[in-house]
Amino acid sequence: MNLRVIGANLVVSIKSFYREKTAMFFTFAFPIILILVFGTIFKDQENISFNLYVQDLDHTETSAEIAKTLGSTGKFKITQVNPAVDATQYARNHRLNLVLIIPQGYERSYIQNLQYDDPNAFVTITYIYDPSSASVNTKMEILNAVFAKLNQGLTGKPPFIRTAVTSILTRKYRFIEFFIPGIIAMAVMTASLAGTVNVNTELRQKGIIRKLSTTPITRTDWILSNIVYQFILAVISTAAMLLVSYAVFKVNLEINAWLPLFILLDVFAFVGIGMILTRFVQEAQSAAAAANAIMFPMMFLSGSFFPIEMMPSFLQTFARVLPLYYVNEGLRASMVSADNLAALEYSGVIGAFATVVFILGIMATKWEED
Amino acid sequence: MTIEAEYAIEVEKLTKRYGDLLAVNDISFNVRKGEVFALLGPNGAGKTTTVEIIDTIRTPTSGKVRLLGMDVTKKKHDIVPRIGVLPQGFSSFDRITVRSTMQYYSRLFCCIDPDIDGLIELVNLKDKAEVQYKNLSGGLRQRLGIAIALVNDPEVVFLDEPTTGLDPRARREVWEVLLGLKKKGKTVFLTTHYMEEAELLADTVAIVSKGKIIATGSPVELIESNSNYLIVTLQSVDEKTLAVVRKMGFEPVSDPHENIRVRVEGTDDVRKILNGVEDAGASFLSLDVRKPNLEEVFLKLTGEALHEGPTGGMGAK
Ligand SMILES: Nc1ncnc2c1ncn2[C@@H]1O[C@H](COP(=O)(O)OP(=O)(O)O)[C@@H](O)[C@H]1O
Ligand SMILES: [Mg+2]
Repeated sequence: MNLRVIGANLVVSIKSFYREKTAMFFTFAFPIILILVFGTIFKDQENISFNLYVQDLDHTETSAEIAKTLGSTGKFKITQVNPAVDATQYARNHRLNLVLIIPQGYERSYIQNLQYDDPNAFVTITYIYDPSSASVNTKMEILNAVFAKLNQGLTGKPPFIRTAVTSILTRKYRFIEFFIPGIIAMAVMTASLAGTVNVNTELRQKGIIRKLSTTPITRTDWILSNIVYQFILAVISTAAMLLVSYAVFKVNLEINAWLPLFILLDVFAFVGIGMILTRFVQEAQSAAAAANAIMFPMMFLSGSFFPIEMMPSFLQTFARVLPLYYVNEGLRASMVSADNLAALEYSGVIGAFATVVFILGIMATKWEED
Repeated sequence: MTIEAEYAIEVEKLTKRYGDLLAVNDISFNVRKGEVFALLGPNGAGKTTTVEIIDTIRTPTSGKVRLLGMDVTKKKHDIVPRIGVLPQGFSSFDRITVRSTMQYYSRLFCCIDPDIDGLIELVNLKDKAEVQYKNLSGGLRQRLGIAIALVNDPEVVFLDEPTTGLDPRARREVWEVLLGLKKKGKTVFLTTHYMEEAELLADTVAIVSKGKIIATGSPVELIESNSNYLIVTLQSVDEKTLAVVRKMGFEPVSDPHENIRVRVEGTDDVRKILNGVEDAGASFLSLDVRKPNLEEVFLKLTGEALHEGPTGGMGAK
């Protein structure tokens, strides 16, 4: 390793990068835009509140109590539907996915049940719903739970089976906090891989690599220069992503030494892959296409945007052979769940991968021509 | 003196194949220290292949090449710091200035203290020192490339077609730089397809065609040994003249300006033509008799032209 040579390469790379505006955009602005867009989309879903239309045919104080109870859960924004209209038609006309109907005689049955303990005194609350709607099931589940509780309150008997939940996380985390480590891992991957492939194929096409082969620079120093350069870009871009996340979404993430380590391993792995690609794909355009062919499946299948548990099991198995998966999970282990042991395991896997790819990258890099 | 001390480059039975194509065919030659050696030949003759094998960019199929006494296939590491290379079609980092580019390349070498300003001055780029590479014209780029090839004060400088693609003025400016280099006594290995360039700069010229060296010597020697004839040119002739000349048994060779150009054996022939034309009452504006130049020597030796068109290396003094 020759620091003077690596330093010289860095100066040239950074000056070239700084003077190249599109590279700047894709490295820095693009991941931030992703965070802002997805963060905003999912922000609303966190303190979710459904619209609920209620048609109260009983129109008594007791029946009004139901709407109030539902409203007090904080999950629903209640809108009253005029008792005179046909609820099914109303739902159709207004494109509602659910209208809840409280039947006439609700109060009467309620009192009968309460005072005379009459088992035949019951009421049926009707859900008029649109089964094609995606969110309607969640709505109905919440409603069922609320009614179950009400029923239980009426019988006065405490439930026998109760459930308790213990999160494996030390604290509750939000979607955006799950999302950000994935975006960091992905942004570092794309910048390292695409950057390495673009720069190296361009330099080869311009004959600069050939010129360099008549200077004392070694292949190892050349790859290390690429890595150090990409690492610097990755650190700046990660810092920018985190700043925006803290400022806009007030995220709560653990920032410690794992973060730069995973970024470094991410850079090592994908600069190495970039060097290998550059060697075997001669045309600049096909090299860029090959880089995309590696990046896109990696992005979508390794759990950068969503948990891999959401995928079918064969895809989950596939995800576990993708190097980016280990960066994603490693960063989440350290930043979200503060689980050092898990972070260590993930770093071990990606570290081994990065080492192999780095060595292959050095071997693949070829200065001389045939 | 030992051979190592006398020769900077020794090439012995060098052959290079690309698949079925024999690009360099069993060539041998030596380059003395301190001389400017030019490989002269048309496109595809094998010049770049040869020079890039010598300066360690490519590997030979067979044969021995020693550079500064070292085997080029085994001692790249020791050779590289002692040579400077301007590859064919040199290009550099678009957004980096002349001075920064020079600094960059100088940092790739260990333990050197290059006089960057001096080099920039040597190639006449003083006014352009802060200009980015992408904004330089072709001639300026080549001059930067030459300056870069000199950052490590190399013992041998390789210049692969340093003036190809330049307009005549830019070419002359590069030549001036190269003449300065020659004065400094550097060993220079040059490839070119411009005869004037070889004639002006080279101490020794090797003429290559189809992977073979077909003649070697100083420009003067090459012309002397291959010019047992004279070239007679009759300008602005009328049609009659052509017929007369043909009748006397001289077959005109191609001439870009539609003059009559014939090879003759000696001054007797010149007199014969003059008399013949006069007797026939034909006319011409002027008459030019000279020895052949390298271009014509090349044509005679290989039967192929250095250049496809009528432009290019014609008209040496
Ligand atoms: N890398 C290569 N692969 C295959 N053929 C090549 C390669 N380089 C050169 N050639 C062929 O070898 C011959 C000599 O080429 P080159 O050495 O570039 O000649 P010159 O420099 O005199 O123009 C040409 O026919 C060229 O097409
Ligand atoms: Mg060539």
